[in-house]
Amino acid sequence: MIELLKLCGFEEEEIKSELPRIEKSFNKLGINAEDIERGKQRLKKYYDIELKGLRKVLRLCVKELVNAVLVRDEGDDKKVIYGFMSPGIDLIFTALVSKSNKVFPISQSWVFQIVVGCIFGKIEPIMEEAEKKWLKAGLVAHCANIKTLVGSLTLGLFPKPDLLVTTGFLCEAAPKTLDLLHELYDIPVWFIDACKDRESWEYPEPTDRIASLTAKSLRRLVEKIQEVTGVEITDGMLSDVMDAKDKLGDALGRLRELVESSDPLPLSPSHENIWMCLNSLTLSMEGIAEATEAINTLYGELSQRVARGLGVVEKGAPRVLAILPAGQTDPRLEYLACEVGIAIVALDTNSEAPYKKRSKDPYMRFGLQLQQAPLDLTLTRRIPFIIEQCKKLNVDGVLDRYHAGCRSVVADALIIKEAVKKELGLPVLVMEWENFDPRVYDHEQFRRRLEVFKTMMRKTLPEH
Amino acid sequence: MWDKLLAAHLSDRPAELKKAKENGVKIVGYFPGNYVPEEIIYASGAIPLCLMHGGNPRAADVALSVVPQIICPFARSQIGERLLKKNPYYNMIDMLVAPITCQHLKKVAEIWEYHRELDIFKLGIPQQYGNAFEVEYYTDRLKVLRDRLQAFTGNKITDESLSNSIELYNRMRELLRKISFIRRTSPSLLSALDFVKLNHACCYADPAFVVKALDSIYQELKHMQPTAENNAPRILLLGPNLGYGDYTVLELVQAAGGEIVIEEICEGVKYYWHDVENKGDLFHSLTKAYLVDRVPCAFMRNSAKKRLDFALKLIKDFNVSGVIWYELLCCETYDAEAYLFAQRMEENNIPMLVLESDYTTAATGQLKTRIEAFIEILKG
Repeated sequence: MIELLKLCGFEEEEIKSELPRIEKSFNKLGINAEDIERGKQRLKKYYDIELKGLRKVLRLCVKELVNAVLVRDEGDDKKVIYGFMSPGIDLIFTALVSKSNKVFPISQSWVFQIVVGCIFGKIEPIMEEAEKKWLKAGLVAHCANIKTLVGSLTLGLFPKPDLLVTTGFLCEAAPKTLDLLHELYDIPVWFIDACKDRESWEYPEPTDRIASLTAKSLRRLVEKIQEVTGVEITDGMLSDVMDAKDKLGDALGRLRELVESSDPLPLSPSHENIWMCLNSLTLSMEGIAEATEAINTLYGELSQRVARGLGVVEKGAPRVLAILPAGQTDPRLEYLACEVGIAIVALDTNSEAPYKKRSKDPYMRFGLQLQQAPLDLTLTRRIPFIIEQCKKLNVDGVLDRYHAGCRSVVADALIIKEAVKKELGLPVLVMEWENFDPRVYDHEQFRRRLEVFKTMMRKTLPEH
Repeated sequence: MWDKLLAAHLSDRPAELKKAKENGVKIVGYFPGNYVPEEIIYASGAIPLCLMHGGNPRAADVALSVVPQIICPFARSQIGERLLKKNPYYNMIDMLVAPITCQHLKKVAEIWEYHRELDIFKLGIPQQYGNAFEVEYYTDRLKVLRDRLQAFTGNKITDESLSNSIELYNRMRELLRKISFIRRTSPSLLSALDFVKLNHACCYADPAFVVKALDSIYQELKHMQPTAENNAPRILLLGPNLGYGDYTVLELVQAAGGEIVIEEICEGVKYYWHDVENKGDLFHSLTKAYLVDRVPCAFMRNSAKKRLDFALKLIKDFNVSGVIWYELLCCETYDAEAYLFAQRMEENNIPMLVLESDYTTAATGQLKTRIEAFIEILKG
């Protein structure tokens, strides 16, 4: 255990003081000695744990998970609020924890997936638990992200919250899940309203109409949270949080630019899900500064690596833009791409579509920003945005592993392929995939397909 | 007699619409789910058509060149009908009003929009309506739709034209409601297949003609007496979708000796339980009827309990002894709700059978066996 915690960036002294809590929470999660051994191996294999900046981020993830598991066991009567598939809720959560220690808000699924899924490789029993309920396995292809929420809650790995919040920005499966959790387990739930009715002529700028619906709905959520917790959240607090988060976003952007522009690729894309998780952690204002510092440290370390010409694939490896985030519970596919000699230089979800509109109202500011997230763009903008990214990154191919459980993105896959082939003449590998379910990973089949893809890229594209 | 006249009307309808188009009348299609007030389209002088063909495996299959199988067969059918170019309705529309409802249909509209196939208006539906700003959002979108239709057709939508249109559609809903209530008799005076076909006819036929037909059918039915009691179990059909032509389950239930006496379906059965208040601010009235007062589809927030309560009311009102839950493969929200409904039905001692279809004929044998077994159980 101690070695594992060191790999995750814990210092000796902190290990001494935190070990009983960590052990207690791992016991609750069913993490045993064998899992810890596996965890160490997976950390060493799939992650660049010699990078101090990465270890700092992993520490934040482990700490947040431990706190979430033990929140009701530690004697105080904190109000527990969960966010699930709720972009923007991290801002409200940061404001809450920065003001009160009587509240414990968390989007616990992300850290749960990283720690229990990616590190310990033990998320399958959680999926199976959810499949005993209404999220059956098979052709319906229920999203496994939802399975982690339902499985972990019904197994009692996390305590029943005082409020569980979601939205339908991306999908209606998440709100439907909360609807059922409320009806079946009497969990108080709340929905942020959303409407994806942006018309083609309304691009490229975000529309005030949709932003305003989001803003008003978020304000209602804040009123509800104030009612549940008794903690007031002001516009000023939210603006400060957004400014701090922007700094973290800038640091991540700088890191990603370094990765995108370097040959050989200096860091495996298996780390992408950790950056995504970092963005969703419930950090206090100090925590955000700590996270920003961790990413800056990592940037410095990677810069040195780049200067020495070191990388995780050979120099000149074909450059690929991957569609959708990295596997959220399993780093193997991204790692395999490196093994095969493919450099996934970026994910289409890493950057938002540019826009000029600004608002001083923090809710509107978020409502505008949200519309520019790649997965919130409708096809008429999403496709050109992907083409723009391909050109900017000068990629040799596109890996379109579509998340089969997500109806919001699944229908775009073949259209993206046709558009990229037609406009850029690049090979596109379309793979049916489940972003949250490691059971879909088929090493031999994926290896063969990636090898063929690499050959195709070598054939179609030339001189790098 | 009227059923024959209606059938003849539907058979002539494509030619009639073609002629109207040649005379400059716009044909405006929209997707089912009962969130698009066709009153506004009709008031603009355009002809509204609810695009809702389903059940044809060929149409669902051909769409696989555009979208993966995980998109539901009904949504795929909407893409397929356009690709096959054989369905006159799908090829004659000048504009589509796409309600932003479930992920599947939303994607169909997005794909048509991306391919710039026709003029598309996305009608935003807030997913809950407990706050004034959500209700206003929908009302505002209806007003934008009005403006868009005015520009598209060149006709002004006046309070008077909208009121006349509401009156016509209210009459249609009232008649469907009355005919539906007649089905409370045992045995029912109208089979589910006949009722659903009648309901579906309302989506494609001329509304004025269909009102006359419904009135005549109602007059005929209300004077009929039920024949002698039979032992056919009375069944409620629940689910997301029943496309125009997707009649396999209705036929199999009838053949197995069951009697579907009422349907609660989101996409594919025209909603007739509420009228639109035809006074005051008519856009407010439309919002109330189409968003607030109605039974919400599963994609709406907090909808499961409301739909469940409505289903239990229908079970009581229509003296139902069993429920058939008919869903399309890959419909994730209804598939999730089936679990809750099955539990609650069990608590109420109502047997429930869950059926899934992907429109392939291969599944029919299995459906038949399961339906027959279920009806045997209901018969005791």
